[in-house]
Amino acid sequence: MSEIYIGRMLRSGMSGFVVGCQVEKIDVPTFGSLVRAPVGDHAQVYGLVHDLHVDDDGLVRHLATAPEVEPSTIQDAQANRNIPVEISVLSVGYQKEGALRHVLPPRPPLSLDLIYMCSPSEILSFTSQGRFGYFRHILRQEDIPHAELLAAHIAQSHKVHQQQGDPLWAKKAVEELILLLQDDYQKLTSLLGAVQDTLGEGWLA
Amino acid sequence: MEKDGWHREDMVEETNLIGYVVRGSLKDHLKVRLTVPSVDVQEGSFVVLESDQWLFYGLVTDLQLGATEDRFAEERNERRFSPDLAGMMHEKTLYTDLEVLPTLMLERGPDPGSAAYQDWLEGIESGNRDQPRPIPVKTVPPHHTRVRMASEGDIAEIFGKEKKGNFVIGETREGAHPVRIDLHKFIQRSSGIFGATGTGKSFLTRIMLAGLIQFDTASVLVFDMHNEYGFDDTASDTGERVIGLKTKFPSKVRVVGLGKGAQIRGQSPDFNLEIPMSAIQPTDIMLLQRELNLRETTPTTLDALLKSFGREGWFRAFRAMSVGQLVEDEDGRKIPALDSVAYWANENGVNVMAAEALHNKLRRVFNSPYIVEEPASDGIQEIVKMLEAGGHVVLSFGKHESDLDYLLVSNLLTRKIRERWEWRTNQFRSSGKEEPRPLVVVVEEAHKLLNPEMASQTTFSTIARELRKYYVTVLIIDQRPSQIYDEVMSQLGTRISGWLGDEDDIRAVLSGLAGRQVLRGMLSRLQPKEEVLLLGWGVPMPLPIRSRRYDETFWKALKEGGKEVSEQSPETSIEELGF
Repeated sequence: MSEIYIGRMLRSGMSGFVVGCQVEKIDVPTFGSLVRAPVGDHAQVYGLVHDLHVDDDGLVRHLATAPEVEPSTIQDAQANRNIPVEISVLSVGYQKEGALRHVLPPRPPLSLDLIYMCSPSEILSFTSQGRFGYFRHILRQEDIPHAELLAAHIAQSHKVHQQQGDPLWAKKAVEELILLLQDDYQKLTSLLGAVQDTLGEGWLA
Repeated sequence: MEKDGWHREDMVEETNLIGYVVRGSLKDHLKVRLTVPSVDVQEGSFVVLESDQWLFYGLVTDLQLGATEDRFAEERNERRFSPDLAGMMHEKTLYTDLEVLPTLMLERGPDPGSAAYQDWLEGIESGNRDQPRPIPVKTVPPHHTRVRMASEGDIAEIFGKEKKGNFVIGETREGAHPVRIDLHKFIQRSSGIFGATGTGKSFLTRIMLAGLIQFDTASVLVFDMHNEYGFDDTASDTGERVIGLKTKFPSKVRVVGLGKGAQIRGQSPDFNLEIPMSAIQPTDIMLLQRELNLRETTPTTLDALLKSFGREGWFRAFRAMSVGQLVEDEDGRKIPALDSVAYWANENGVNVMAAEALHNKLRRVFNSPYIVEEPASDGIQEIVKMLEAGGHVVLSFGKHESDLDYLLVSNLLTRKIRERWEWRTNQFRSSGKEEPRPLVVVVEEAHKLLNPEMASQTTFSTIARELRKYYVTVLIIDQRPSQIYDEVMSQLGTRISGWLGDEDDIRAVLSGLAGRQVLRGMLSRLQPKEEVLLLGWGVPMPLPIRSRRYDETFWKALKEGGKEVSEQSPETSIEELGF
């Protein structure tokens, strides 16, 4: 299991949670990354990063409008923020006693629990489990950019699968999404547009 | 039959599947979602739907393009996305549905791996359960029933296996599996071969006749108006030599020429047919009503002639009369001569003008060279004898190709023959004498004899209506089936039709059949010259086929097929006749 943590739980709910992250770790999780949070001693909830939010505060506002500010002041204000960078995560699966399912956890993680990045082997086992059941959690959300999130997730996972000798995983994932969205022209074509832009050429060959 | 331990799913390789049932109804048709490219399946394809306990056999009647949402079909997304990605999307969003007309179903029993299957098999073997056989559809296969193209075995299961009396008439359009027709069933009811001009009717007729002769299923009498069937001919379109029946069956087929000294295609027929005047009856004349433009007074005049001169003498007597000849009487007045029509009319209370008009109009018949006072031989009797003895006769009209000759001779001869067969059948039924030989009378340009105005008067319509009661059936060959009397058309058992363009003709060919609506389109889209649609009571289900080519390969295969005689007990025959 990966021990690279990205921050601590700020708030959570059944469908997702928000992680507070230090600025030096801001480059670790990216849009579409698979992360996990412990729920009790033997369970994990898995989620996909769908938003990274950098909020302002009084100092930032003041500095933003000040006529002349020293670069060192700016650097200091960026590194030592009063409020954390917020990472929003969508819950997409749950593991208990080794059994992985693409279902929501029985309860959300608690405040200040540590949130970890998933390792390649965790990504592999999560995305290979079943038949892409976790896509339904993503497609159900109204207020997230599905197309971009799915394209980013597929691109990241495709790399892992490719390294493990399964270059067709991305194709199967896209096929499943086409099947799920076959009645929705708008959603499907914008998803495929995003997939094409993100994965580029050659991934289907 | 499946072997022990096998499962149904193993039976069909995935590669043979073409789709699965998505919806449908028994009254209408089934919808099958195609899983192979649409161009792999054609209208008229014979498909098998495999549900757990039953096999359903059906015919593809339509192919429909569809999309999960209209815009997927309307937008050309292959320009927007990479070809591979667009291909993946189209595979899931664009589809083809087949409309399948279910026709027959065959029980296949429980799963072969189960104990119930063993019981089922034993039940059949012990005779407690009927041997499964194809029956008309009475239910529909469930959703997602797998659909595949029919194999050679399926075609044989439905259209008959290679055995006695089963004659290959063509092959399926996809797969080229042989399609057989049961000749024994074919001759049990009158039948028809239809198609627009140039669609290969006469070739198909030659093929059917060759089958009937080779397998000795029935005697055949062909009224060969255009001298095509007896001796070798030249094809009108390709100019190639077309083998005649006489060439291939020299001892079985007799070519009879109409009239003394007739030559058919430059060859001498086996003998010539002359018709004695005594054989001509008023009904034969009435049949020519339209051809000779006879008046309404004709029946009265004919009736009087019959009374005056008798059934055998009236024609000769009337022919001998003169018209308009006058003589002077003792008082110097002009009166009709003794041998004139007017004299006879006056004597018998018949309208003179009407009688003279009839005489004038019958002049074409009087002048027919093949109607003679005393024929050199009794040709009619000879033809009857030949047919009774199991031979086959092609009556070539030679140079007497007019409608008048055709109507008069074919009806007269058929009337005589049917009378004889009726007598023979009654003898067979009452005194157990020898069973009459089945006879097929082949009529070209049948609408001339069986149009609504004349049908009630011809022997042909009587034969068509009474099925095989007297062992005689008609094989109608025509390009305008719409001009044939409805009642005759609806009685036809086997119908073999080539391409037809006219709506009325198509409607006529399909009269009295189920699923007319879907068969109509199929008929109008047949490939001219190559494809025909098998229809009617004589075939288990309608099927478009590629007809067999009439060439040396056909003859070789036919002759190698061997001679197969229909063997049937008299009791079975009587039962089949419905007595």
